[in-house]
Amino acid sequence: MHWADAIIDGLRAHEAWTVPYVPDAAGWQVVGKLVDDPAFTTVAATREEEAVGIAAGVYAAGKRAAVFMQSSGFGNTVNALAQLCIVNRIAVPLFIGMRGGLGEFNAAQIPPAQAVPRILDALSIPHYAPEREEDVAGVVDGALRLCYAGRAPVAVLLYSTLVGAKSEA
Amino acid sequence: MRREEGVRALLARVTNEPIIANLGPATADLFAAGDRDANLYSFGGMGLVSSIGLGVALAAPDRRVYVTDGDGSLLMNLGSLATIAAMRPVNLVLIVWDNHQWAETGGQPTHTAWGTDLAGIARAAGIPRVAAVSTIEAFEESLDAAAHEDGPWCIVASIEEHGRAPRPRVNIEENLLRFRRTFGT
Repeated sequence: MHWADAIIDGLRAHEAWTVPYVPDAAGWQVVGKLVDDPAFTTVAATREEEAVGIAAGVYAAGKRAAVFMQSSGFGNTVNALAQLCIVNRIAVPLFIGMRGGLGEFNAAQIPPAQAVPRILDALSIPHYAPEREEDVAGVVDGALRLCYAGRAPVAVLLYSTLVGAKSEA
Repeated sequence: MRREEGVRALLARVTNEPIIANLGPATADLFAAGDRDANLYSFGGMGLVSSIGLGVALAAPDRRVYVTDGDGSLLMNLGSLATIAAMRPVNLVLIVWDNHQWAETGGQPTHTAWGTDLAGIARAAGIPRVAAVSTIEAFEESLDAAAHEDGPWCIVASIEEHGRAPRPRVNIEENLLRFRRTFGT
């Protein structure tokens, strides 16, 4: 199964029907398939912390959301994660398209991507990075279970080794 | 008008409708005027209540959802107005207590003190129902319309700042769980 379809299956199984996002090439392989799916509500956000806030609201109303963003903008979410989700115990799964790894052509993508795992560690947010396509279903299912059981954010990092490096155009 | 008058007017018009309050004065005055299960207070995450309200409105389309934001906080998240306009949740009512200052940090002037027009920004962002009010009568008239007519609404209430109620002693986790239970969760 394609990794993106495995993520979609996980969202369906855990009823994460609302998907706020700031688009990136990796995440869009998932979100792009949900835009016309009547079961899902996709929400284009103008910034990453806004997407986290929308997902927090969905959870506060008793439903579930999953946020998609790129590593370059993850840093924008620190306040929303620390002062909203962690303090209130709001379960928000984060899917982060990781630039700055193998095959990266844009130097500006490298420092923020390298900071993502360390920022997550500093916030005590568990994070997982499936490396092979056959691992994705298990990691996503496990991450979503953990997120809702712990009532706290959990991140799934999508590296170029899984999703392919963005090509320079 | 004063914020506490506005809060009382809002509370007089709701039963189980959620109210999501910004940190500082919006939360303190809502708690003081009427603590209730469907109030979600804020103690951090400045700027995010309009986004939280959008999430609640999308998840609970059968309820009117009220947000009480502040000018300083909305200025931190102006993109939220564009996202609300794009999603068009008819049940969302975004109220802004515009006191033209960051009251919690010492009353420093915000950009609305220098002429920024939040209602104008909301209109330009594409919010279909926008009201700018400065009297309690006009505010109540807007609230009555927003309760029955499709939104999303943005009501910018220009208020005179006279201080806020004491900081509420609230268990933050319990506040969230109590709020969630009003949705049957």
